[in-house]
Amino acid sequence: MRRLLGRGGLVLASVVVVVFSIFPVFVMIGTALDPAANAGGRGVIPSGISFEHFGRVLSQTRFPDYLLNSLIVAVVTVVASGLLALFAAVAVARFRFSGRTKILMMILIVQMVPMEALVIPLFLQAKTLGLLNSLLGLSVVYIAFSLSFAIWTLRGFVAAVPVELEEAAYLDGASWWQMFWKVLFPLVAPGLVAVSVFSFILAWNEFIFALTFMADDDMYTAAVGLRTFFTRGGTDWGAVMAASTIITVPVMIFFVAVQSRLSSGLMSGATKG
Amino acid sequence: MSSPALGSARRPWLLLAPTLAVIGILLLWPMVRVVVLSFQDFGLRELVRGGAEIVGLQNYRDILTDERLWRVALPNTVVFALVCVVLTVAVGTLVALLLHRLSPGWRTLVMMAVMAAWAIPAVTGTYVWVYLFDARAGFLTGVLGQLGLVDVATQNLFTERGWFYAIATLNVVHHGFPFVAVTVLAGLVTIPSELPEAAMIDGANAWQRFRHITVPMLKPVFAIVTILSTIWDFKVFTQIYLMPGGDGSNREVLNLGTWSYITAMSQNQFGLGAAIAVLLTILLLAITAVYLRTLFKEEEL
Repeated sequence: MRRLLGRGGLVLASVVVVVFSIFPVFVMIGTALDPAANAGGRGVIPSGISFEHFGRVLSQTRFPDYLLNSLIVAVVTVVASGLLALFAAVAVARFRFSGRTKILMMILIVQMVPMEALVIPLFLQAKTLGLLNSLLGLSVVYIAFSLSFAIWTLRGFVAAVPVELEEAAYLDGASWWQMFWKVLFPLVAPGLVAVSVFSFILAWNEFIFALTFMADDDMYTAAVGLRTFFTRGGTDWGAVMAASTIITVPVMIFFVAVQSRLSSGLMSGATKG
Repeated sequence: MSSPALGSARRPWLLLAPTLAVIGILLLWPMVRVVVLSFQDFGLRELVRGGAEIVGLQNYRDILTDERLWRVALPNTVVFALVCVVLTVAVGTLVALLLHRLSPGWRTLVMMAVMAAWAIPAVTGTYVWVYLFDARAGFLTGVLGQLGLVDVATQNLFTERGWFYAIATLNVVHHGFPFVAVTVLAGLVTIPSELPEAAMIDGANAWQRFRHITVPMLKPVFAIVTILSTIWDFKVFTQIYLMPGGDGSNREVLNLGTWSYITAMSQNQFGLGAAIAVLLTILLLAITAVYLRTLFKEEEL
């Protein structure tokens, strides 16, 4: 076989891609572990390994509170959007009713609306409703922005469950709700895991709404709370990178967990059913 | 598919009700509201007391006659987005072609690294690039200094529009190429290997095979990654806002997203900010529509 690149070329190209890809993560973790991070050097190789920045961030700053805020917002978002999306997915996958296609299209189209364009009206709305500086207020916004993807994904999973299984449950005397919890829910669990990962990452990483809604520094999420390490006196880079590492690690774990799914057919997975 | 056991005709609407309520209140109503706001004089007084005067097209007139739009925000948005889209799709496609050629072991290794680039949140990723290009202690500032491109002693890259956006481009391309790579790779594995092999027997070189087999077969995939990258890169906010000067303190580096946000949130001119947001959305819709039209036109031929 004639090749564009020889074996050596392939190895070289792979190394370039790997180095470019992991460079920021490497710098982030390296600086977080470097006891001399705030000394003002120009290197990226840590001068030593120490957990002092992690210790400082977790014991002497407000960052643990911000992490807890982020966790609460993410969990509320995951649970509520998963549940709402599952209900909606069952409605569009299992029932034929007039307006069904229109609703599906509407859900698809609202996904195109840029979050950034809605920050001004949603800020005014949240202010009117007293939902600023509230973890619930922020979660509700994230639920809205994660629903569309969740419904389209779950719809495929619900459609894949054989109707015969439902009918068997009815023959055993189950009501619709019993059937829903005992038959449908366990069978679409893998789909729920996939959409939960998506909405967790959305809520965990989001910046613009968290910045806008949380004026009170008690209510900062972790992503916004990083700003508190930038002060007039200078930037505590060791703390920024240690806190960034703590924020990034759960996301990385989730990505690795869904990696095979992503790479083995993002398209086919999303359009299944 | 619906069997009688599935219950009443009301059930699907009961199941959909919470979703429709959330979408209606948090997405559809704000969409209407932002358009209404853009025709209003809505400032701090209106925020406190409520009620706002309709001023017609005044906000739009103010923006379209503001030289900051034509000289700063529009070029910073459009040129930046175009460069980012071209680079993201090019880098992503090259990485996908590489992954496609690798043995399973190497492929897993490179894929893990690419996933790491994808997984790093925009906020923390931006801080790492800011750290690397820091004026006093940044590693990459030092490298640029060694190359003679930057005078390390006197220059702060973030204060210069060109450098500011070069760094933002690096950040956005680094964050965006994994999606393109993974999606194009998923398309590449669907191309039957007989096609490139037959072309090779006919004497086609690698570029010709890519140009005449891969590109036409993956046209829908390229269309999707290009449209999505364009949408994302036009409305980049976090990566700009978090860079030094990006929060409005350096007016030269405003783009439409940060200009809209700062006008509304920092200056309390909500009507004006909403009008900028509407312009940005119209720009996005127009570009998506043009893409889709060219796509479907070529399909018909």
